[in-house]
Amino acid sequence: MSENLFLLTFFSPFIFSVLLGVLFFTKIKIPEYILSETVKWFSLYMATISLALFVLSWINSPSRILLDYAPWIEVEHYQFKVRFIIDLLGASYAMLSAALIGIIFRFSRNYLHKEEGYFRFIFLLSILQFGLIIVSFSRSIDLLFAGWELVGTTSVLLISYFYAQVQPVRHSVKAIISYRICDMGILAAGAWAHHYLHSTDFTVLPNIIEHSHSGIATITIGAFIIWGAIAKSGQLPMSSWLPTAMEGPTPSSAIFYGALSVHLGPFLLIRFHDYFSHFPALLWAIGIIGGMSAIYATLVGRTRSDAKTMLGYATISQVGIIWIEIALGFTNFALFHMITHASLRTWQFLRSNSIMHDFYENPAVQQNVKISRQMSFEKFFTGNFKKKVYVHALHAFHLDYFTMKILSLISLPFRIFIKFENKWMEWDTRFLNRLLRKGNE
Amino acid sequence: MISRQILIITPLFFAFGSAIISSFYTVGKNWQNFVLGLIGVLVLFYLGLFFTPSIAGTFSTPSFLEFSMDKFTVFIGAIFFVSLFTGLYPIRNKISLSPSFLYFIAGGLGIILSNNLSTFFVFWTFQRGIPFVRFIKDIRHGRTTGGGTYVVQHFLTAICFLIILYLAWQSGFLFTPFAEIPASFFTWPVLLFAFIVIYESHGIFPFHSWIHDLVGKLPWYEISSIFLARAGILLFVKFLLPTFNQDPDAFKLLLLTLSIFSSIYWSYRGILEQDVSKTTTYFYVAQSSLLLTGLQADLTAAHGAYLHMMVISLSGTALWSLLSYVQHSFSLKRSNQFYGLAQYYPKLATLFCLFGFCMIGVPLGASFVVEDLVITGLLEKQPYLGLGHIFATCLNGILFFLIFTKLFLGQSAYKQQVKNMDMPVKEILPYVGVLLILFLIGIFPHLFLEKINW
Repeated sequence: MSENLFLLTFFSPFIFSVLLGVLFFTKIKIPEYILSETVKWFSLYMATISLALFVLSWINSPSRILLDYAPWIEVEHYQFKVRFIIDLLGASYAMLSAALIGIIFRFSRNYLHKEEGYFRFIFLLSILQFGLIIVSFSRSIDLLFAGWELVGTTSVLLISYFYAQVQPVRHSVKAIISYRICDMGILAAGAWAHHYLHSTDFTVLPNIIEHSHSGIATITIGAFIIWGAIAKSGQLPMSSWLPTAMEGPTPSSAIFYGALSVHLGPFLLIRFHDYFSHFPALLWAIGIIGGMSAIYATLVGRTRSDAKTMLGYATISQVGIIWIEIALGFTNFALFHMITHASLRTWQFLRSNSIMHDFYENPAVQQNVKISRQMSFEKFFTGNFKKKVYVHALHAFHLDYFTMKILSLISLPFRIFIKFENKWMEWDTRFLNRLLRKGNE
Repeated sequence: MISRQILIITPLFFAFGSAIISSFYTVGKNWQNFVLGLIGVLVLFYLGLFFTPSIAGTFSTPSFLEFSMDKFTVFIGAIFFVSLFTGLYPIRNKISLSPSFLYFIAGGLGIILSNNLSTFFVFWTFQRGIPFVRFIKDIRHGRTTGGGTYVVQHFLTAICFLIILYLAWQSGFLFTPFAEIPASFFTWPVLLFAFIVIYESHGIFPFHSWIHDLVGKLPWYEISSIFLARAGILLFVKFLLPTFNQDPDAFKLLLLTLSIFSSIYWSYRGILEQDVSKTTTYFYVAQSSLLLTGLQADLTAAHGAYLHMMVISLSGTALWSLLSYVQHSFSLKRSNQFYGLAQYYPKLATLFCLFGFCMIGVPLGASFVVEDLVITGLLEKQPYLGLGHIFATCLNGILFFLIFTKLFLGQSAYKQQVKNMDMPVKEILPYVGVLLILFLIGIFPHLFLEKINW
């Protein structure tokens, strides 16, 4: 039963996105009404089967179902095995994805009404859903990476949804750079796990490392995984892209940076928690990164005046706290926190545009809303220190500046070589010129 | 046996014959249609051979020229012509092919079919000699500010090649088929000079500077035909690979390190570069540099490398072709601004994006399979170099996004409100066909991987 439900959950978004893709590229015009009705029924269908899968997984919990299919890639002795796991963690995330994407589909029906890119938006969200299903149920790092990349690619394409404007495009480039740098971590983790531990299966890796002698390699694999989780969650030092990624349409900001994409980092850490538990140093690292990101995002967020940016920093801060929970070993609590936080944040993002309108133009709302500073922690800061913290927070603690400095330092040898090469090329032509003229004379 | 010999030599004969005739009768549009027709026929010829179960054979002239045809040669030949056809056919009305183009094709075909050192040297020198002579003329008449590095580097590499030929002649292997050269021939001097020739032919750091000279001075399809002949790869696979396991470890490590470093260098150079055509070429070369890593690692990675060769040839030529179509109407010199061309060319922007995705390892595209195979294979040999490969792949991806966003996204730099500049649907069909194949390989890789067992 669970297996059949899983197959439906897995293939439905794939087939749906392929169909949409064919329509998109053949430029067959579908009336918006028909499209939004189809999407409505599809999202209801996805939510129902995901819910059923979640209920079954809950009933069967803590046991889990392991599925092995024919290898996807097979060359000589190497096989890329298609392995899935149906457990409470994966089913929860799949259900959350289906529910929130359904809500976003419904919201965008009005929000993006008559927008030129509505079809593109639906198409990209259906690919996102497929990517999320792969991540939720994959049992190996390789397969997880495939879903991870799909989520990242759709995310970047949606940031530059308004592609005729410069700012969204610039921010999409910033996002892809951050994603790519950190995705290297997951790819490297998969490759090293394959080489040193001869498996990339999450379920067997913790048992393998108990008997493994390659200590540094195993801890490095864990570090790679943490590095991979950093960018998607917007944790330090890769925090600065997330608040700027709000240039896409509000529904996509909600689904990516309030709900699903941003929580993939904690999801990955929970998946690997059994592995991390063998290395206290890695748990410490997770906790420290989470803690620092939470403090950083809280301070910077409070200096921002734009609602969506503030929400972006608030998300980083909460995700940082979820990282701390994972580091402390409260994985179930972290999962609960993830689901509730994603749901709340989606609502806040979707409401962020209309709340500004209500606040400034609706007197009834103005009377009922009072901004309270009673509970503000800022009262603990006084005098000059408060000013200094404020100024640094306003500049986001110069994170972008330091990142650029580090990158330019790393690339210094290349730049020196390029200068030398350019000179050398000029010299070559001049030398030949002289040589040939001498020959002529 | 005779029929096989004819099969090997016929395309070469036609290519050279047409090239020589075209030197005397270059007659505008009709000639261009003839060249495209010839490429189309060669596409069918090599695809037909590729799907034929047994096609191996050799052809020797009485003196020193020897040609051979096996599954690998046919594979390279098929990629060579399919890529050129896909790149040139849709834009045939927007460009006028240069008269010397057929010589590049003929030289490339000769390189692909050659089966011993002397034959390879003749065709390698012939193909590289065309720009060489052109640059010499231009420099002599003061018509160019560059081109010197191409001339100097190829001159020095030709000397290295001649030294290999001399060593082979002394050992009696000058006219021996590649596969029959024994491991004892590969002493340190031979390995070192072969390394220089292979890496220079493939544009790998530190023998790469000639590529800067080609971009902008030669039309993209001529540069493409130089790369598509895969001289460096062919020399490596035919000459070095059969005895590669017996070569010193330090030599293998040097080769691997340089190809990975080269890809990182080209990607970084592309990120810094301001000229759009150069950036696209650097992206292509950065991808090509990774081909040799796969071939050197193990059999798993080699499969990935063969697949990669196909992916980058097809996608890379398509990218160049799309760029050239756009450049026909818009002057795209500097990439330090956004051109916003998606407003004028929505279909082309989509195709450009998808071809790029096929190259940078986005899942469901063919290069995701490539990355998986090459990285896995490479890690079996060199775990730390595997990390370098991952870093190179990451930089390639960033470079592609930069090219795509700069060209197609953002606010348009052009004031005119010209609409309907996109390519007609029937012209797009070759691109779409190739894209479908690339995605099909990404989703069902075994369909193709079974075919590249040789």
